Amino acid sequence: MPKNLTTDVLVIGAGPAGSMTAKWAAKRGAKVLLLEKRQEIGSPVRCGEGMSKEWLTEVGITPGRWINVEVEGARIYSPSEKVFEINEKHAGNEVGYVVERDGFDKQLAIDAGNAGAELLLKTAATGVLKEHGKVVGVTAKEFGESFEIRAPITIAADGFESQVGRWAGIPTNLAMRDMDTCLQYRMTNVDCDVRYCDFYLGKVAPGGYVWVFPKAEGLANVGIGVQVSQVTSPADARTYLDRWIAKHPGYAKGRKIDVVGGGVSISKPLPKTVDDGIMLVGDAARMIDPLTGGGIANGCIAGKICGEVAAEAALGGTPTKEFLQKYETGWRARLEEKLYRNWLAKEKLVSLSDATFDKVVDALSGVKLEKLNVHNILKAVHEKYPEVTKEFEAFL
Amino acid sequence: MPNKKSLHIESSGQLCIYCGACVGICPLNCIYLDETRITFDEKICTRCEICVKACPVGAIEIG
Repeated sequence: MPKNLTTDVLVIGAGPAGSMTAKWAAKRGAKVLLLEKRQEIGSPVRCGEGMSKEWLTEVGITPGRWINVEVEGARIYSPSEKVFEINEKHAGNEVGYVVERDGFDKQLAIDAGNAGAELLLKTAATGVLKEHGKVVGVTAKEFGESFEIRAPITIAADGFESQVGRWAGIPTNLAMRDMDTCLQYRMTNVDCDVRYCDFYLGKVAPGGYVWVFPKAEGLANVGIGVQVSQVTSPADARTYLDRWIAKHPGYAKGRKIDVVGGGVSISKPLPKTVDDGIMLVGDAARMIDPLTGGGIANGCIAGKICGEVAAEAALGGTPTKEFLQKYETGWRARLEEKLYRNWLAKEKLVSLSDATFDKVVDALSGVKLEKLNVHNILKAVHEKYPEVTKEFEAFL
Repeated sequence: MPNKKSLHIESSGQLCIYCGACVGICPLNCIYLDETRITFDEKICTRCEICVKACPVGAIEIG
């Protein structure tokens, strides 16, 4: 292994956002190095594995064998388990396909490799190299051996636990209210419905929800997210999830075959995702949808823009923060309004009482909404429970 | 650190599932995750206990 490498574009982390960035930078002619600290792309899985699908063509992903199930829609359950169905098209970032996430990540890494990006596995970034205040690469460790990698552009795609951005001086810290702590079991022998992704709201999961994403008949990911600021004792995520399962006979009879944990940011978009020589993308840039907790679509969409701007900066432009504004402006134009809107909706939702949740879902369960938006939802709720919509006046 | 409480991350695999939730929330960036190893910097850690709440399985103890 030749040490002290150089490249045009250096991407840290071969998750969806990183591989997508690497692919598009390579397609635009840049020499790309993609670092992955794990020995196997996509494994172990840390994901509920639900995702929407309408954005796949935009970033050049071809549906493949990584799809387990294509669902028709989502079912939203209130605390007393009144149910409201949403068609897949309106259901947001987590509904469309249930996927084999490791297979999905591998496909994206293959796409990046085929586009010309070089991949270093079992290679972790250990620090950021800075010269005159500008990021010029990273220090890295491959199989225990330390070396430097220099590049005009470094991209932090190192996921929820991102450190590269913080090392570079871009604040990505989260308050306790801006994060959900998550736990999921893959369970077999359960009564899931392969036509729907299910969401259970209210005090069963304070500041989050319980999800059931079907992977096949009788097989589902059953998980929970709990807002960290609402955690009262250690391992609350597990306690709440076990309690929910125990109360649902269709799941209590199931067998756990896998356990997955992780953190999900539910924050507002970061004020800044670029600096001299560096860009942040995906979960590392807190691009997760704060309402649904879905991060794949946003990471991939921003990744394409990031890769294209990175190649342009490395090949013809200059990697200054002024030039890299093109990425900042580009991803915000595509994603920021929805992120902000969903953040506002989430802020309201986490404050609702179980009684209010019940009324809202009950009001919606009887009606067919032509278009699912805040206005139509509030109108439907107002017709049945006018006193409830008072709570939403500020939000409107 | 004689006055500080001790922080213990159970990372032998008995409880810890190496998910990185504690790493992402640590306000001082002092927890590190390798593939199957979590470490923290005793000198930087202020025992704020945020990571204890963020851990979904209760693998972090401060006593």
